[in-house]
Parts: sequence; structure tokens; C-alpha cells
Amino acid sequence: MRTTVYRLSQLALLSTMMLLWSIVVVAQDRRVTGKVTGTDGPIPGVNIVIKGTTTGTTTDVNGTYSLSLKGNNPTLIISAIGFKSQEVSVGNRSSLDIALSDDATALSEVIVTGYTTDDRRNVTGAVSTVKPRALQAQPSGNVEQQLQGRVSGVTVISNGQPGTSSQVRVRGFGAFGGNEPLYVVDGVPVGSVNFVSPDDVETTTVLKDAAAASIYGARAANGVIVITTRKGSKTPKKLQVTYDGQIGATDPGRGQAMLNPTDFADWTWRQFRNTASQAGIPVVYSHPQFGTGSTPVIPDYINVGGQAGVVGSVDLAAAQLRYNVNPAAGSIYQVVKANKAGTDWYDAITNVAPLMRHALGFTGSGEAGRYYVGFSAQDQKGILINNRFKRYSFRVNTEFDLSKKVRLGQNLQFTYLSVLGQGGGAGGNGVAADENDVLQAFRMPSIIPVYDEFGGYGGTAAKGFNNPRNPVASRKGLDNNRGFNAIGFGNVYLEVDPIENLTLRSAVGLNYSSGYNFGYSRLQYENSENNSAFGYNEGSSFQYAWTLTNTAAYKRKFGVHVVDVIAGQEALNTGAGRNIGGNGQNPFSIDPNFITLNTVSPTGRNVGSNQFKGVNFYSLFGRLNYIYNDKYIVTGVVRRDASSRFGANNRTGVFPAASAAWRISSEPFMKDLTWVTELKIRGGYGIMGNSNNVDPNNQFSLYDGNLNNSAYDINGSNSSVINGYYRSRIGNPDAKWETSITSNIGFDGSFFNNRLEVILDVWRKDTKDLLFQVPIPDVIGGFAAAPSVNIGKMRNQGIDLQVIARGKIGSEVGYEANITASVLSNKIVYLAPNLTYLTTVNPGFRGINPIRNQLGYSISSFYGYQTLGLFQTQAEINAAPTQDGVVKSDAGKNIKGEGVGRFRFADINNDGRITPDDRTYLGSPVPKFTGGLNLRFTYKAFDVEMYGYTSIGNKIWNQSKWFTDFYPSFAGAAISERVKQSWSPENMGATIPIFEAASNFSTNSEANSYYVEDGSYFRMQNLSFGYNLPSSILSRVGLQRVRVFVSTNNLFTITKYQGLDPSVGGSADTNFGIDVGNYPITRSVLGGLSLAF
Amino acid sequence: MRHNKNLLILGAAATLSLATVSCKDSFLEVPVTGQLAGTQLSSKAGIEGSLIGAYSILNGRGDRLASFANWVWGGIRGGDANKGTDPGDFSTINPIQRFETIPTGDVGGTWQRKYEGISRANTTLNLLKSAPADMSAADKTRVTAEARFLRGLYYFDLKRIYGNTPYIDETVDYGTGIEKVKNDQDLWPKIEADAKFAYDNLAETPPAVGRANKWAAAAQLAKVYLYQKKYTEAKALFDLVIANGKTSNGKKYGLVPKFADLFKASNDNNEESVFVIQAAANTGSTNNANPEFDLNYPYNTGPNGPGNCCGFNQPSFEYANSFRTGANGLPLLDGSYNTAANAVKTDMGVLSKEAFTPDAGNVDPRLDHTIGRRGLPYLDWQDHPGADWIRNQPNGGPYSPKKFTYYKSDRGSLQDNSSWTPGYTALNFPIIRFADVLLMAAECEIEVGSLTKALEYTNMVRKRAANPASFVMRGTALAAKYTINEYPASVFASKASATTALRFERRLELGDEGHRFFDLVRWGIAATTLNAYLQYEGAAARLPTTLGGATFTAGQDELLPIPQPQIDIQGKDILKQNLGY
Repeated sequence: MRTTVYRLSQLALLSTMMLLWSIVVVAQDRRVTGKVTGTDGPIPGVNIVIKGTTTGTTTDVNGTYSLSLKGNNPTLIISAIGFKSQEVSVGNRSSLDIALSDDATALSEVIVTGYTTDDRRNVTGAVSTVKPRALQAQPSGNVEQQLQGRVSGVTVISNGQPGTSSQVRVRGFGAFGGNEPLYVVDGVPVGSVNFVSPDDVETTTVLKDAAAASIYGARAANGVIVITTRKGSKTPKKLQVTYDGQIGATDPGRGQAMLNPTDFADWTWRQFRNTASQAGIPVVYSHPQFGTGSTPVIPDYINVGGQAGVVGSVDLAAAQLRYNVNPAAGSIYQVVKANKAGTDWYDAITNVAPLMRHALGFTGSGEAGRYYVGFSAQDQKGILINNRFKRYSFRVNTEFDLSKKVRLGQNLQFTYLSVLGQGGGAGGNGVAADENDVLQAFRMPSIIPVYDEFGGYGGTAAKGFNNPRNPVASRKGLDNNRGFNAIGFGNVYLEVDPIENLTLRSAVGLNYSSGYNFGYSRLQYENSENNSAFGYNEGSSFQYAWTLTNTAAYKRKFGVHVVDVIAGQEALNTGAGRNIGGNGQNPFSIDPNFITLNTVSPTGRNVGSNQFKGVNFYSLFGRLNYIYNDKYIVTGVVRRDASSRFGANNRTGVFPAASAAWRISSEPFMKDLTWVTELKIRGGYGIMGNSNNVDPNNQFSLYDGNLNNSAYDINGSNSSVINGYYRSRIGNPDAKWETSITSNIGFDGSFFNNRLEVILDVWRKDTKDLLFQVPIPDVIGGFAAAPSVNIGKMRNQGIDLQVIARGKIGSEVGYEANITASVLSNKIVYLAPNLTYLTTVNPGFRGINPIRNQLGYSISSFYGYQTLGLFQTQAEINAAPTQDGVVKSDAGKNIKGEGVGRFRFADINNDGRITPDDRTYLGSPVPKFTGGLNLRFTYKAFDVEMYGYTSIGNKIWNQSKWFTDFYPSFAGAAISERVKQSWSPENMGATIPIFEAASNFSTNSEANSYYVEDGSYFRMQNLSFGYNLPSSILSRVGLQRVRVFVSTNNLFTITKYQGLDPSVGGSADTNFGIDVGNYPITRSVLGGLSLAF
Repeated sequence: MRHNKNLLILGAAATLSLATVSCKDSFLEVPVTGQLAGTQLSSKAGIEGSLIGAYSILNGRGDRLASFANWVWGGIRGGDANKGTDPGDFSTINPIQRFETIPTGDVGGTWQRKYEGISRANTTLNLLKSAPADMSAADKTRVTAEARFLRGLYYFDLKRIYGNTPYIDETVDYGTGIEKVKNDQDLWPKIEADAKFAYDNLAETPPAVGRANKWAAAAQLAKVYLYQKKYTEAKALFDLVIANGKTSNGKKYGLVPKFADLFKASNDNNEESVFVIQAAANTGSTNNANPEFDLNYPYNTGPNGPGNCCGFNQPSFEYANSFRTGANGLPLLDGSYNTAANAVKTDMGVLSKEAFTPDAGNVDPRLDHTIGRRGLPYLDWQDHPGADWIRNQPNGGPYSPKKFTYYKSDRGSLQDNSSWTPGYTALNFPIIRFADVLLMAAECEIEVGSLTKALEYTNMVRKRAANPASFVMRGTALAAKYTINEYPASVFASKASATTALRFERRLELGDEGHRFFDLVRWGIAATTLNAYLQYEGAAARLPTTLGGATFTAGQDELLPIPQPQIDIQGKDILKQNLGY
């Protein structure tokens, strides 16, 4: 089969070249003139082509045209953006006026699913589409990111890193993992769409329920996002060249408010007093920088050759002679001045970040072939130093009619993709939960300057500030790191119409990706905790995935009956490949031009590699669509999937779905309701399968041997080990497909001659046989992965609504409002017998364990003690339940964590003691409601568009407060301004605990509701002004379209959330919504130009 | 024409592709990559590899609390040290050192790692059942005995730490009722049986120095007897070990002449190594280089000190004081070492830039091999500067650990720089060393043998400690007033007095090596000793916010709770929780 695949890909290349020959010259004959108008008057820039030729023209500013004709009865093809194309036979006429009708309505559009193309009016499932035009002003690099709020029923949680992946969920969270929707680009399933240039996208379709999606059965349970790229039109058009460009910049905004050096010292002293009074002991002041007196002394220098708290001047000339910041060259000697004005560390690690995107497109078509060629380049910097996204792509899409009944086509894209300096797991998705440089910026005391007196870095090597690391040094250390992916993606297809109404299609899709990366870690000296070697790493990988699809489609109308059948088979591999990587340390020279894996020190040099073979799927599917009298529509889909993820016992799953629709508006009794343009009621029910959340090895019991887990220096060499082996996995050969049962009821309505459109869906998705690793007891040995078994149940339900209203205000101002709204509820319904929560998911953040996935609540719910505020008096403490967190029978401890100004927890089980049994549900990061509002106004050649997004009802666990609001959480690190509002006898009633050194159950050691904040927000994501140059000017310079726009993104965000940004995702569905160091989405300003000629 | 030709080719290709995708079962069977099926291990090499895996878990493989070093369970809970560092750092140890341990959280890791070790030993024993013909009977016996030695060792720690836990041997596994095994059986006979089998079957000289030999098994078996107070059996075996014992590399058991040399990676596998965890640096994974100690170094030393991070395991005031000796060179056995007059002078609350004169009184020289304190040379690095190397004095006190710290001269060779922190070394950790054997033997002699012999063994240890060649020096002068003498016969004249002296000696010699808590418990003096310790250490002048008010509850805190998640999984009827939790 491999050879077949290769041969077909060769053919694809051949056919690409063939395209470039097809230029046809046509002799000229007579002329026809006329005017093209729309509902709003003459339309300039309309494309008029003689059918069967490439001869054509465009209308001028007054909508008039003149064209030389050939032949007796030529046909003109008239097309313009935003209008329905028309074909008109000229006959003998020499004057021909044409009226074009609007093509803007959502309900008249074409739904492209990858296997099929359907008219919206005949669709019975839950489907949403996004127009690329709506997305162009969004500077995001990833197509998926642009879907936020644009599609009802889709939740997108992203962050501000350019090129980041996002948490995209279609209709909730069906499983404990692997909930990513299936992306299909030009019919080829892919894992990520970050290689696609937004300017190449023609349509984006989201298939949401079983009726719509289950034709993709095997991997459709999480919804399907179908992307098709631009093509030449079926109707002949002469070459059109488009250019779309934008240039702008992102502003990092402000960081969190942190104490200035004076306040920092004062509050450190205040802490000494609070600590002493809480413990009933005399106050002792001692800080290496601020001295031991009863008032802190701000030093002039915080580090002079290792000495802290130096007051007075330093002989800098003498110091310079001793200056050394190279640990390899001996003792470190720095002179670091106190920055009494205070360093704004957030400002220091961020920059205004430029971005640009340019795209050139070439489309055209002749009678026998059509093409699209696109070049695009995007270069976007992130607001953090050394954070950059670059993508260059080249795309060729062609289709040829080899004969009247045979078409050959291909889509091909090459992409260079480079994402540098990105943080967070799962492609940047997990950045919020990391102790990254953003968090470091809020942990570095403001008294520390970025640089020492002689150009080296300042940092916590100056005593007394605990362990934050200079984030500027960390970011700048990434200077020479590089990494990129080269991606070749495409497909080639052959369509044959052997008899009328029947189309056979065979397609081969290929996705090749290779990557290379190398990076350096500098030898640190400026921090309290430094690494101890200069490090180097280098790695490379490749991956190769393929899809082979054969379909037969038959569509025929018999009187009032329309039958539309498609049957197909598909085989695919999700990607096989290898990777290799090595690392080493301490090369002779740290010159990047010198360093390779060969030139690092032989001591500690390691090389490793991995291989993977991907997952194979084999599927058969069919769909029957029957329409009676344009009123009643019935669709049935069935798909049989087999996957190598499962053992032979349960490899195959069959997933049927059925749906029906009634186009009421076609009934005679509706004819009188003229305000109803179109009304359709839909209902669907079906079963989808999911296998994403199970390791392909789950069926096997396996053994592994590696340096980390099982090697031992049995020979006592002190420097080498012998590999040992251990059981790495216990297999379950009986695992089977997870199944989602979805039901959907909806209606599509269009009213007042398309001035109002409403699409509403009410849905429920019950997932059963959820695969998860039911914990096995540790007596079996804790290193073996537990087998996934089919046991859990989850319920998602919600409402998706889209409303579009368009019209005119007066005679000049046009408007369009597009509202999307989604209501979502997610609940874990069942785990395993006697299991009330996922014991295997318990992420810890410095001893705080905020997450519990438990029965009856949403995935990734927050869990801990409910605070009832702070204890105000000793009497209150005495009257309250004993609060010590100890479950020992002996509760008679002398000192408990309780104290005035500390947390008072709720005794949930009313047993008179606060123990771990009192931990409770504290909220969910899953938004209850998400919505988008897009408003567009046009006035003459001007347009204004604004887009707002809202997420309501989600909570955020603001873990960053643990670091900045509590003194003993790494005493000496920076302190939040919030602490000024902390509890004291003078400020009783505060919500922020007393600022003191004690660290215990009632202060900073437990997960509690203090960290839970309302994450609801509204963001004005985009506001743009556009201007289309008048045709009078255009025609003079031979252009069809010139549009300029300025736009601002993320103009403002309304939220109560105290962290940097309320958009807090995560790298896993059982663990998200935790903000340790979120990378914020900040304001950007763009200007753009769009040309066509 | 050209088109037609292409069409033909394409048509053929499409037909071919349609034909080839007709589903074959083999297409849906994707082979596993990079891992092995169980059957692939049933070769000699595979069985030996499985045994290596069983050894490798001795150091906890990255779970810092799960190593046989037991610096938290045996050391911190025994009063040798407190958690140290900052309250927010590894905060889950805070309640543990206060004996407010909860059944969730950190108690689970040790359980898991020990059972992983047991599982690997059992896997090895099972693989042996189908061992290939080319494996000699001798090899089979050796591998069986080593696997059983290790299994017994893992159960020994489980028993000391949690009491009775489910006994899993090679006859049960996943799917054959493993989760139904209750923790209602006394583990001692099983532990004894494994150690005895190893002793009976292991050779004196194994094929590699890292392997357990006959004498390691003998010492372990004797230790198991001692824990059960089977002094007679223990003494008989200790006698043999002392008389005939040899290390795995064939050295006659003896004491390393200089105490300090015990804690040098360059002196690994010396005559005192009865059974040790082999550590190796720069192997590609710091999990082979004492990952359990990676954070147990002074703080913010820069390149002038070892480790640089993170200030864990700070020796206690009380432990430092216990090194005080009288003018006679003997420890203050009456407990008076904690009085204001005798307590070792500290730099608590003194900034490094402020002047400080170290303690000038008599101290046991092992103090400065065990505890890093201000003004004294810190190995070959520099004088300990006090507060500047201490992360948070009010939380952890003034001291730094010293025994398992690497030397400046070992950097990059016997130390590993490949991770975020440099605290990874090739220094072996002794699970049993010969001095420990001598002191355990002395204990047996006191109980069922000769006080004279007990004195002799104890003084062997003291004599080595008193070797002036090992004293910490500054230039040619002693760094402190080291005053140490062997015990006079009078101290060992009565069983009670001898017992006090012996117990004190174990603490001085073996402190910070993970023994103390277990010793206190088996001696039955944990509650009194530890409550006194907590009261002293938690007083206002020392660590009131860290240890103030903490108490040890007799009949309860001797054992850790059975990890709650395991009870939740297996059921309360299978796993019975320990008293008080």
C-alpha cells in the first residue's frame, strides 16, 4: 500500500505542473455592453467572463462594462464577492443589464463536510459555519483561536502567546481526556491546524451533533472542524490576484501591582511584629538587607561581593577589578545597587511586540481547470522577550477536468513554522499553570535591579529575597535557541462520474512533518538557586501520516423525491515517525558557532531516540439523505470503525445516527406568512465513538527499562549504570470504544426576507463506557500504568443559539448583528464502583491541591476548604470547631493553626472539627455561558465592525496569590499591593489574611476558597474601521478592490478577576483553570491593506 | 491523448488503492515500539535485568521520602533535623515533622515505591520459573537469593514505617487476587524468611560489588532479629558477621580509619560497606545520583558552596547539643547537654555581616562531620558563613546538613550538573555499615551477652571517631575543641548505664543516616524522647513557629498511617488503618 501512496503523491505533483500550461487565447469578434446592479445600486468590480474561455472584464465604478464577444450565442458568467453568481446567455443582444442578488445569508450557504457538500436548507444536523472575512482582522496565528465566540457550542480558551494551541471544545467535555475536536483540512484529518494560513481558508464548518458529525464516526465524538482552502471557481474566471496584509503591534499592558522597595521593607517589618504577637513572643527583626533594628534600613547596595545590606558608597573602580560573573572563572563578585525607585519586573520582561502578516493569492479558472496559489508569511512577536511565531506557507490547489466525466485535483501546502520561547504544555495551552517567567516577574522584589553595576544580571544572589530567578536573564538566555517545523501537507483526488448522478471519488492525503531544534541554557550566577553548568540540547524528528478515502455518491431527483446517498471507505494512519535528541554541558567555548553535541563535554552527554508507529483506522461509512417535496428531509448515517488502539476482541465499533427535518416554510399553509422566509425544524439522535483517550498500548502488558526508572550502578563505578527492567504497563485487551449518545433538537429560521436569521439547537450528549485508568492498588507496583477500562459516564448538555439581524438604518447605513450564545453544563455521572473521584488526578501546586474530578460535578472542579472569612477574635476561635487538619484520635494539641486574622473554615460535615473531610466543591472552570456579539455597520465605502466575547460562570483558581499574598510562601520574595488591605486589629473585616510568618493549616498550606475567583469576563476583542477605495480611482489604476482598515484587538476586558487575564486554560481537561503565571491576552493595534486585481 | 494516458494510469491507481484497503486484520495490529513484552524478558539477560530493576528502586527513584536513606521518616521524625528551608517549600513535610501526619499525601509515595521494589523482586522470581536452559543453577540460586534479599529489605522498611502491610509474594498478581490480600499478617516471619534464604544461598563474593552478598544478608537478618528483640539469634549472627564478614568486593569488614572518609564518593565501597545504595553521577539521569538528597544543602551559596539549594534537612539544635562532651571526652549521658550552660552556641538571629565567635567548648569531633555550622570549615569549600547560607533561620534554625554533601574537589566528576540544581552525587548511601553492625552487636551483648564485649564494640566505634587524623582543621589548628575518649569500663558496668551509653553512641555515630526514629520506637522511648525534643526545639528561643506545640502521641505516632487512597481503592475490610488515624 505504501508504494501506492507514493505513486499517487507523485501524480499530484505532476498534475500541479500541468496546470501551468493551460492558457487559452480566444479571437475577438463583437461587443456587448451593460450595467450590473445589486439591491443597493450599481456594483463596481464585478467579474464578467465568457463561458468556456478566459476572456473577461470587470465593471467600472458605475457598474458598467464592455466586452468583446465571440461566437453566436455566448454565455456570460457574472460573479462578485458577496453576490450569487449568474450565467446569462447573450444571444444577439449588444446591450445586457444584469441584476445580482445578495449571497450573504447564513442559511443559504453551502456546508462542506469533507466527504460531502450540502445545501444548508437540506441539512438536518447541528452545523455552524464561520466566514473567513469575519476572522481576517484577528491577528492570531492559529485558525482555531479565531473560532472563539464565533460558533455557538464551541468553547475556546486561549492565551496570549503567538502560535499557542488552545483548549477548543465542541459541546463540552465528553471524556476525561482526548476531547480535542477532529480537524479535517481539505478532507484530510489532522491533529493540529497551526500550519494553515488563515488567508488560505475558504470555509470553516463545525459539525456538532451525531447527525452531522458521525459520518466521521471514529473520531467525531468531540465534534469535527472542517476547513477547506480556497479554490478556483467552477465557473471560468480570469486570473485574480489578491493581496492581504496587516501590520501592527501588541502592547503588554500593565502587570500586577507589587510593593515598592520602601513598602516591601515596611511590610516585612510589619510581618515580624505580626508573627511575634501571634506567637506571643518578643519581636525579633532580622533581614540581611534591612538590618536588625526596629525600623528597616533600605541599603544602598544589596550585593557587594556577596555582602548584603551595604549602606554607603562602594569603590566601584576597585570593585570592577574584582568583578566576575563567570562561575567557571572563580568566585562570583558583583556589585548590585538597590533600585530604590523600584523595578517593574513585568515591564522588564515585556515589550511592545510587532506583528505582520502578508498573503498573496492567485485564483483563476478556465473551462477545464481551476487553481488557487497562495503565499503567506506571518511574523508575530510575543510580548515576552524572545517569544516569536513565524509561519511561511505556500499552497497550490488545482482541479482539472480530464474529460467531461473525470476530474483530477490536488491540494498541496508547504509550511515553515517556528514557535520560539513558548511556555506551557500541550503546545502552549498549559502556560497558565506553570511557574514561568510571568510569575517570576511578580515574585522578584522591586528593590532588585535588572542589571548589576557592570552589566551583569541582578538577582536573588543578593541575600534575603528567597528563590525567584531573574526573569529577564531567563528570557534573554533564549536568544540563540531555535526550533522549527517543516510541514508538507496535501491530498490528491480523482473524481469520476461513470454514469449520470454518480460520482466516485478516490483521495489520498499525506501529512509529513519534520522538526529541528537546538537550545542553550546559560550558566547562572545571579540567583539564589542557580544551575551549575552551561547546557546544550539538540533534537530532530519526523512524522508521516496518511489517509486514503474512497467514496461513491449518488444524487438523483425523481419527481418530488430527492435521494442523496454516499458510501465510502477510509483507511488512515495518524502518524508514524521517530525523533532523536541529545544534550550535554560545558563545551570548551560557549560560542554558538562552536557548539554541537560533539563539542560538549563527554561527561554527562546523553543521546536518546524514540519511535512511534501511530494508530491505524479502517472505516466503512454510508449516508442516506432523502427529501420529499422539498419539505421532509430524513438522513441516516452509519459508520463502522476499527482501530488498532483496541485489542482484537473489541476493535470494531458501529455508530449510527438518524435525523429528520421539516421545512415548514414550504408548506402551503405558511405561504400567507410572508415574513417567514425559511423555517425548518430539525431533530437528530445518534451514537458516536471515541478512542482518543486511550493509549494504543493499553491492550498490552509491557516492560520497560530506562535510566530514570530502572538503571543501577551495580558495578559501583560511580559514573555508569546497567539498565534494568520493570513492568511499565498492565494491559487490558478488552477495552472498547467510548460512545457518546447525542440528541439534538433545533430549528433554522429566516425571517423578513433574510433580515433576521435564527439558528437554535438544544442538545444533550451522554458519554458512556468512558475509558479511564481506574486506579489499581500500589501493592501491584506503582510504576506500571494501570489499564484503561470502559466504565465512566459523563453528561454534557446545552443550548446553542445564533441570531443574525441585518438591514439598513435610513438609506445609507447598513448593519449586521451576529450573536452567538452557548449554554453548557458538564457533569461526571459515574466513575467506578466505590470511586467518588479520580484519585489519579490530583495536581499539586506547592502543596496546594486544588482539583478534584468528582461525581456530580464538572470536570476539573475546584476542591478544598470553604473559608468563612477570617477569625476576628480569640473568642471566635474558641467557639469555632477545632481547626487543625489532623485526623488523629488525639485532638489535644496545644497549638493549632488557628489565629486571629487567619482563615476560618466551614465545618461541612458538622462534626465539630475541621479535618480533610470538610473539603468541598468550590467551583468549576467550565463556563456556563459563552457568547459573541459581532456588529457591523456600513456607510458608503466605510465599514465599522466590532466584536465582543463573553464567558460567564467560570471560576479561576488564582494560585499566584499563594506566592504574593503570604509571607511564608518563600519568605523574602515580592509582596502584592493587596497585602496593604490585609487583616490587622485595626483592619478587622479584611478578606486578606494577616501578614505573618506562620505557615500552617489556617494560613497558606491548604487549598481553600480564598484562591477561587469569579472568572467571568467580557472582552471587546475587536474593533475595526475599514474603507473601500471608490471604483473611480480603482479603475484608473487597474485595480478591482482596495480596502484599508485599522483595527484594535482586546481593547478592554471587563472582569472582577484579580489576576493578569481571565482567559485561563490548561493542558489537560481534568486539570485546568489554574492561574500560576498566565500569559495574558493584551491589546493590539493593526493596520491592514487588501488588494485585488 | 496525453490526458487519456494519464487517466488510465490514475484509474488503475485508484482501483489498486480500492483493492488494497480491503481490510486485513494485520493492518489493525500496530506493533509496540520501545517496550518489551513479558516473554521477551525470560532470557538470562532479561532476568538479570529485572533484578537490576529491583535494586534500582532502593533510592526511591526521585521520591525523596521513599529512599532507604529515610531522612524524613527516620531522621527528621527522630529529631536529628527539621525540614528546614522555607515553610512554603515542600510544605507537606511541615505537618509530618510536627507529628500531625495525615493519611493522604506524602505517606503514599514511600508505600508505592517499596511495593514497586517488591513487585520487581517478585517479577524476577516469576521469570526464573521459566528461566532458559543457558542459565546455570548457580545463577538461578544467586538471582533468587538476591531477589529475596531485596524483597525482605523492602518489607523491612514497610514494617518499620507502616506496621503490617499486605504480604505480596510471587504467587499473586494483577488479576489473581492481589488486591484482596489483607494487612492482618505479621510481616516479621516473612521478612526473616527472605533474609534467611538470602543468607543461606548467597555467596561471599558476588559478581558485582553492588550486589548483596552472604554477609549483607547475615547482617540484615541479624538486624531483623534485633528489631524483634530476638537478641540471642541476633547476637549469634552478629558474632559471625564481625568475625568473618567481608564486603561484596572481598574486603574484610572493618572501620574506615577516618570518620570523614565514610562520606566521600571517592571512598565508596570501602571496608565498612555492608549493604549500600550505589550512586552514580553523570549517567544521563539524576535518578541514579542520590535524588533523595538533591535539596539537602545550604542555601544561596553561589559557586562557593555545594548544592546551592534548598536548605532542607537542617540539623536540630538538640542534635547539635548532643555532641557536647565533658572534659573527660564523654557525652553528657545525663541529658544535661541541653542546659543553657552546655548547649552549643549558635548564630541564631545573627546576620553574616555581624561578628560571631563559634562555640569554644568540648565537642565530639563527629559534630563537624555531621552538622554544618557557622565559622567552621564546610568540607573543602569555605567556612560556613551562617545566616547567608541559611534560607530561613526562624523556620529551620542555624545549621546545615553535612554528611551526604559533596566536596568541591568532586564537582563535575562525582557530582552531576545536568539538572536544575547541582545536588546530585555519586556518594553511596549505607543502609548497613559496619559501625552500625558493631553497635547493634553491642546492643545484643548488653541484652544477652557480655557488657565487656558491648564496651569493646562501642569503643571500637568511638576509637575511630577519636582518630585525630580525621578532625576538622583550620590550617594546622583544630577547628573546634574536639574532646573525645573511649568509654571507661565503669559506664558499661551496669546494663542500664551501658544501654544509655550505647543508645547515645548510636545517635552520635549514625545521626542523619535515617536510623534514629526507628531506634527510638523499638527501644520504646519514642514518646518521652521526642516530646522532650519537641518542647526544647519549639521553644521561643528556637523554632516556635515551626515546632511549637507539636507533640508525639504514644501508641499512634510510632507508625505512619496506611495511605488513605490505598484504603479507598482496596476497601476498609482489606486494609485496616493504623491506630489513631
